[in-house]
Amino acid sequence: MENNGVKRMRPEEIKVCVLRIEGTNCEEETHRAFAAVGCSPEMVHLNQLTGHGAASARRSLEDYDALAFPGGFSAGDYVRAGAIFAARAKSALGKEIKDFVVAEKPVIGICNGFQILVELGLLPATDGISDVPTAALFTNDSGRFECRPTYLRNESRGKCIFTKKIGRGRTVMFPSAHAEGKLMSADRRFVDRLEDNDQVVFRYVSPDGRSAGYPWNPNGSASDIAGICNPAGNVLGLMPHPERALDAYTAPDWTRRHKKEGDGLAVFRSMVESLSP
Amino acid sequence: MALDSLMTRKLQDPPVVEVDIHAASDEQLMEMSREMGLSLSLDEMKTVREYFANEGRSPTDIELQSIGQAWSEHCCYKSSRVHLKEFVFAIDHPDVLARGDAGVMAFNDDYAYALRLESHNHPSAIEPYGGAATGIGGILRDVVCMGAQPIALVDPLCFGPIDSDAPLPPGAKHPRYLMDGVVSGIRDYGNRVGVPTVSGAFFFDDRYTGNCLVNVGCLGIVKRSEICNNFVGGAGEVLILCGGRTGRDGIHGVTFASVELKETSEEESRGSVQLGDPITKEPLIHACLEVNRLGLITGMKDLGGGGLSCVVGEMALDADCGAVMHLDRVPLKEEGLAPWEIWVSESQERMMLATTEDKVEAILDVFRTWDVLATVVATTVAEKRTTIMWGDEKIFEMDLQFLTGGPEYCRPYEIMMPQGEAGEVVPNLPANEKVLLGLLSDPNVASKEWAIRQYDHDVRAATVLRPLVGESNDTGPGDAAVLRPLHDSWRGLATAVGCNPWFTSLDPYRGGMSAVDETCRNLVAVGARPHSLTDCLNFGNPEKPDRLGQFREAVRGLGEAAAFLELPIPSGNVSLYNESPKGGALPTPMIMGVGIVEDVRKCVTSDLKEAGNSIYVVGKTLREMGGSLLYRLYGGEGGEVPSVDLEALKDKMDLMLKAMSKGMVKSCHDCSDGGLAVALAEMCIGGSMGASIQLKGLGDLEPSDMLFSESNGRWIVEVSSDHEEDWIALMGAHAQWVGVAGGPSLMIHGGGIDMALDKLKKAWNEPIWKIMG
Repeated sequence: MENNGVKRMRPEEIKVCVLRIEGTNCEEETHRAFAAVGCSPEMVHLNQLTGHGAASARRSLEDYDALAFPGGFSAGDYVRAGAIFAARAKSALGKEIKDFVVAEKPVIGICNGFQILVELGLLPATDGISDVPTAALFTNDSGRFECRPTYLRNESRGKCIFTKKIGRGRTVMFPSAHAEGKLMSADRRFVDRLEDNDQVVFRYVSPDGRSAGYPWNPNGSASDIAGICNPAGNVLGLMPHPERALDAYTAPDWTRRHKKEGDGLAVFRSMVESLSP
Repeated sequence: MALDSLMTRKLQDPPVVEVDIHAASDEQLMEMSREMGLSLSLDEMKTVREYFANEGRSPTDIELQSIGQAWSEHCCYKSSRVHLKEFVFAIDHPDVLARGDAGVMAFNDDYAYALRLESHNHPSAIEPYGGAATGIGGILRDVVCMGAQPIALVDPLCFGPIDSDAPLPPGAKHPRYLMDGVVSGIRDYGNRVGVPTVSGAFFFDDRYTGNCLVNVGCLGIVKRSEICNNFVGGAGEVLILCGGRTGRDGIHGVTFASVELKETSEEESRGSVQLGDPITKEPLIHACLEVNRLGLITGMKDLGGGGLSCVVGEMALDADCGAVMHLDRVPLKEEGLAPWEIWVSESQERMMLATTEDKVEAILDVFRTWDVLATVVATTVAEKRTTIMWGDEKIFEMDLQFLTGGPEYCRPYEIMMPQGEAGEVVPNLPANEKVLLGLLSDPNVASKEWAIRQYDHDVRAATVLRPLVGESNDTGPGDAAVLRPLHDSWRGLATAVGCNPWFTSLDPYRGGMSAVDETCRNLVAVGARPHSLTDCLNFGNPEKPDRLGQFREAVRGLGEAAAFLELPIPSGNVSLYNESPKGGALPTPMIMGVGIVEDVRKCVTSDLKEAGNSIYVVGKTLREMGGSLLYRLYGGEGGEVPSVDLEALKDKMDLMLKAMSKGMVKSCHDCSDGGLAVALAEMCIGGSMGASIQLKGLGDLEPSDMLFSESNGRWIVEVSSDHEEDWIALMGAHAQWVGVAGGPSLMIHGGGIDMALDKLKKAWNEPIWKIMG
């Protein structure tokens, strides 16, 4: 279907590339999240896109309509988190990924995936896609890996395609599990510029939606920022895991209060809606 | 060196030595065993000599090393097997689908789950980070080689007191250092491979100083049609070694695990600790499961204790075959390894696959995509012998039945009669309020949030109940973790740990039974029906009759309990020689239980839910103070160790599960360490809600006995007010009303306790954070 020059797709026509290398470990639940909202996701090893590996398994990035970088510890994250995956992706696929983003196809990076998007220069990209990272996800203030429920307020004023179905100002619960999630930049006006551009998507808050320090902000991130998008709104990176909040029964407090479904579904539904309004 | 005259070089490069065992005196045989790190006794060395006399030749160093591995306690269970056969192996159940490197049990018509618990004690006492990490690596492989996707890790750990700065025995490391290293090792390995660490336990006692226990458990899920054998399909197949390269790390790990730790263990045995690499493991798991799913392999086995020397022979012999191994094809980490080192190295992240010739290319293709090494290293033959070739040179040829048969001993044991109340010394206690705070802040009871939050317990997005329950970031302790392994079904798997080493040290038989009772209570507390157990039996040196007596009695207790409750133990592990310069470690029969949850949406947690609901105690409280936390903390001695009434337990479990399935139960908590008072306090802490409790009605014990006795078979239950009449009718005399939920404090009338909620929370939450930082 074509409408006003924009390609309209039925959900099942949306092919999502869930990209992985060794150490990526949230690909199955990320795959499940896209499947749950009716898309056609596929787990693809980076080697399948670069032609390294069996010929029969070869895939091409341009055949996909959306791209997801799942969480995990790609290549072990023994240097800066996400750096090795980003370097490998860039050297073999740099142009394809850039074209994908410029074409405004949806790209999401969750946890380690967010770290990879920052390392790739695709986020925050306030001044356009950058060849070198302009921000970093630094070691948590606690110095420890932190696995705990986190509550996020949707701060997007409308640009981010992944939160349109959440409602501005609404609080959702996506759990966090990371050791390096503190968003930082050398640019002192970094947060202001993100705000000006409507690039701040999620902030850590307490369960009742108010600003709060640790442990509600588990890493000490600047201005409690948990997730950001690029200026065009088609690339989202966030530390917490929406794919771990698909049904009501993985919520940390479901035996105390009951929701109909997990908060995370809305992220994936929003993306589907942006492609098939 | 006295042995030089017996050694001749058979091969120059790489070095292979022929050992003239026939010319050796008894002293030289023992020196040989010691110098070569074989850990074989004189009688065992003589059996070896006789074998080679019949073969008409002298052994090579690689042959002797191979025997040392295969005959170690760790590999052949030579001291424990006779007792396990008597009490544990015979428990059968139609749901047992396989007893391989991990046990496999039916989950539903299409799926099965795999379970295994094992120890990594000695390596962790020397190098806590690496020891614990490679423990995780090993248990994952055990589950993967059944064809199962690992879905949960469980880590019960025992350390010396972390809050003491008393002088340590020579060679022992500080318990705080060990705990920090072990937790970091589990965290960095488990989190990286993406398997959630959902359950565990911590035990602290001075008798673990110098010999900490690191037990690691894993659950996996597998389609019943894809359960993998741990052996080859027959003669004429090939073996493919895949994963990491082989190096000098992890040499003599199994023989090191089969002797006591001593002052000099660090220097002598550091090389036996393997190096973990989760980022080789992660794609290795994917690739192994993929080739199994595609039907490309006939068998799979992990390289753990003994390395290649164990896996090649065992995979072949279990299918009545032998193998020809081309040792020079094994990919190495470094040059210059002697063949015997390659053969026994326990380098991590390696698996062996068996397949037919025609499938090799397809398998190698899968491994190429995952960037994981895979190399054809051996072929199987009809004769039950293993031959090792280095190029064209034969350096090893042994009969497999002799090699893997190993000795089996009926060592002398001594059974200690439990003292009961005869030797009891009743402690002088402060006021009950003060005791309650003391028990809550003892590290054995206090919140383990410091460790739990460092483990990713949510990865794979299937965790329904976590180790901490209640409000977000304001929690109490859970009883069992629950997972939902299949995403198109609400059927769940629950897992929990049970063990009381203090009961076991005073009365091993009741200790063994209590471990089963506690495991079942934990599972039932969340609404799971206990379905299977796996055990890790950590005991002292079996050559000491009292230690072996403890082992036998504990195994008898847990075996009898499991048999009565129809709980099979399809896998298990024995760790002996847990001794330190201070004496034997506490006898620790660790049990990991698995329960089936019919519908995870009906699961129950321990946090109090609603003010006004009634609270009941299920099960009888007796004056059984032996081994209790109260006695340990306040200087009591001896006393009756809690008994187990299996028949009553079975009835109560059935009734509790029925009540839960009908939605009667709003919260439920197992009653164990610290007794009723601690369990009630924990429910208040998790629920951020007080309670008003009456002791009268529970019996006529002294208040401090009623509050702190650790009798088995008890739960505390909050009952929904809508269902209270049905509950009373259902439970009958098993349940006793004790009070109502609500209010700002925990009041125990008749117990002298009125304690504000925030005081309870502080006492329970802070201690381990403060100690560990």
